[in-house]
Amino acid sequence: MSTLNRPKSPHTPSAIKKGEKEDSFWDKFSTLGRKRGTREVKKVQEEGKYAIDSPGSPNQYDIPPEDYALREHEQRAVIDPQSINDPVVVELQRILVDWINDELAEQRIIVQQLDEDMYDGQVLHKLWEKLTSKKLDVPEVTQSEQGQLEKLNIVLKAVNHTLGFHHKIPKWSVASVHSKNLVAILHLLVALVRHFRAPVRLPENVFVSVVIAEKNAGVLNAQKFQEQITSEYDDVGMRCEKDAFDTLIDIAPDKLAVVKKSLITFVNKHLAKLNFEITDLNTDFHDGVYLCLLMGLLGGFFVPLHEFHLTPQDTEQKVSNVAFAFDLMQDVGLPKPKARPLDIVNMDLKSTLRVLYSLFTMFRDFA
Amino acid sequence: MEDIFHWCREGNSIQVRLWLDETEHDNNLGDDHGFSPLHWVSKEGHVKLVETLLQRGARVNATNMGDDIPLHLAAAHGHRDVVQMLIKERSDVNAINEHGNTPLHYACFWGYDMICEDLLNAGALVGIANKDGHTPIDKAKPSLAKRLQDLVEKSGKEVKVISFKEQSWQGLKTRSRDATLSRFKGISMGDLDLHTKLSVTSSGETWRGRWQKNDVVAKILAVRQCTPRISRDFNEEFPKMRIFSHPNILPIIGACNSPPNLVTISQFMPRSSLFNLLHGATGVVVDASQAIKFALDIARGMAFLHSLERIIPTYHLNSHHVMIDDDLTARINMGDAKFSFQEKGRIYQPAWMSPEALQRKQADRNWEACDMWSFAILIWELTTREVPFAEWSPMECGMKIALEGLRVKIPPGTSSHMAKLIGICMNEDPGKRPKFDMVLPILEKMKR
Repeated sequence: MSTLNRPKSPHTPSAIKKGEKEDSFWDKFSTLGRKRGTREVKKVQEEGKYAIDSPGSPNQYDIPPEDYALREHEQRAVIDPQSINDPVVVELQRILVDWINDELAEQRIIVQQLDEDMYDGQVLHKLWEKLTSKKLDVPEVTQSEQGQLEKLNIVLKAVNHTLGFHHKIPKWSVASVHSKNLVAILHLLVALVRHFRAPVRLPENVFVSVVIAEKNAGVLNAQKFQEQITSEYDDVGMRCEKDAFDTLIDIAPDKLAVVKKSLITFVNKHLAKLNFEITDLNTDFHDGVYLCLLMGLLGGFFVPLHEFHLTPQDTEQKVSNVAFAFDLMQDVGLPKPKARPLDIVNMDLKSTLRVLYSLFTMFRDFA
Repeated sequence: MEDIFHWCREGNSIQVRLWLDETEHDNNLGDDHGFSPLHWVSKEGHVKLVETLLQRGARVNATNMGDDIPLHLAAAHGHRDVVQMLIKERSDVNAINEHGNTPLHYACFWGYDMICEDLLNAGALVGIANKDGHTPIDKAKPSLAKRLQDLVEKSGKEVKVISFKEQSWQGLKTRSRDATLSRFKGISMGDLDLHTKLSVTSSGETWRGRWQKNDVVAKILAVRQCTPRISRDFNEEFPKMRIFSHPNILPIIGACNSPPNLVTISQFMPRSSLFNLLHGATGVVVDASQAIKFALDIARGMAFLHSLERIIPTYHLNSHHVMIDDDLTARINMGDAKFSFQEKGRIYQPAWMSPEALQRKQADRNWEACDMWSFAILIWELTTREVPFAEWSPMECGMKIALEGLRVKIPPGTSSHMAKLIGICMNEDPGKRPKFDMVLPILEKMKR
């Protein structure tokens, strides 16, 4: 197996090592060697940096799929290099990197590239501890590949447990993550984002092309196909205590349309007084403006226009609008919404429905 | 003793003025015997101070424990200039004290001829008998009695003896206020005897109760969660609403800061709010002259409020927030001012608010000009006896005023002076609206 053959410390061409010795020798003798010497010193410095920065780096990265030493019937999936540059995939990676960096900012951990920074389980470990506020008993830093694999194994077990993979097999494994398989790492992070309702909005329906290499009767076959990384937001919602809404969506999705319709009717009945009308529950509430206006209409007060952004420009303003509407809801005696302002801004359908539904239950008889 | 009563007696005008400038001081409070500052300066004959106190809203007919009004004391001590000044301020010349004596009794007894004539000219009756059945004429020396008889006959009236009737049980007198009222600002919840819930509004629950033998209203503020910060802000803000020094401002007497309960306490006003008086079934007829009187009262109160440093609890002028005293004096109710933590982002009465107040942050607008707009809506309400924009809900009404130019319409038949005043006060340009002290002389003129 190629993984086992991998060197435990970074590759360094032996030729350079030789040259290094030679140069130092020349340095002692004459000024002639000086110029050449500085060049070599630079090279050595870079090499040293490389050695320090990427301990135990498994260099699978550079090996094209054709070079895999595959056994009979063994499969290997590799992302199509062209699809990595797909703007949607780039965007997805950027959002995930930003999210991890936001979560781990206090720990002074900065992730730059998903595959390069996630494979050893170190960041994943910290991320899991941050998200679950639990402690995992693993060594903080490991240098050896064996240690890395062991640590990753423990961390992934904990992660899979949290994500609820008891019987189902996740789309990632210790081996795939450790071999920096971007597809596996993306699946893992997307699952975490969804599970913990991370305050980010992922692009919907992201696909990457994957090349599957398989050895059949000594011949290497490469098949390309599309792997779905993210789906639409509709089918996933926040996973908190189950309530009537979860049941409704899980058990009777056909009823959802009816609920949506009656909520739209309810909301429009009131917004019509201000000559506003909504058509789409998913999107029309995300900037918080209608929520603020609706609270004034239902609560019997005027909301001063300086208290919120009537035409929000960016996410921050939208979030502050929704947060303000949530405040007003609590002021009139509604329970604190389970959803977070960001969920509404991110157009999480279930959260939006929940908020509107709680308004509906309190004010349905309000003319 | 160094207190306001002492300074009034010795005529220390500097100290009295300093004392009056403090908003927490109520110039109608009485000492142990119910003597108000005006009683003392009238008794001692400090004309300048009498003038000052009257200007600052001292009650001219306040009584002490013996039911004397300041006029009794001025007449008894021969201060003619004071007597004239009090008469000019419509002091009751036939007020009766606990012995049944009028000011004229004392003037006659002490032989102040000129004062007797002044009183007589102001409508004092010579035939009022006291408890012992004596009229002022009985008290006067023969020569003075003769002159008074002649004066009465000359004016074509006849001397009729009116016998004494016990009237004190009717409670018609306005006593000087219990000095203890303004003395304590921190009140403990346990000392309040709250017996009737009056109303529940967005700002809190209002209870009627008794405290130190006074009828009070306690407002238990509605706060979602009383954090230590809110409790601290409350402590800092409520003393600013203890404005006792102006007759047209109804102060918060004190407060209980006992989280989770934050309570403000003010005097009970049986006539309730101006809104209630105008639009409720109270049976009080508000005619044009009473309407102008209310407008004057409110303008005086607001002018005073604007003369102070800006206070943090925000007072929104509208008819819900003006209370009506027994004697139909309108008073700006500080109990309705909103604490910094109260009703954030919610305006329940936008109908009285200016377009800029509905749109712009407090820091970005002129609060005096905003109040003037509210005053315009208020005098419109007083003139038309209608609720402004009653057909719209607050949210609709606010949006229409702020963004669609919804304004009150002046109905045909409105006096041209009033219509003009409303127009001036609600100028679309906040910078062009008048100040309250500029509106006062206009209203004074309209009163006549």
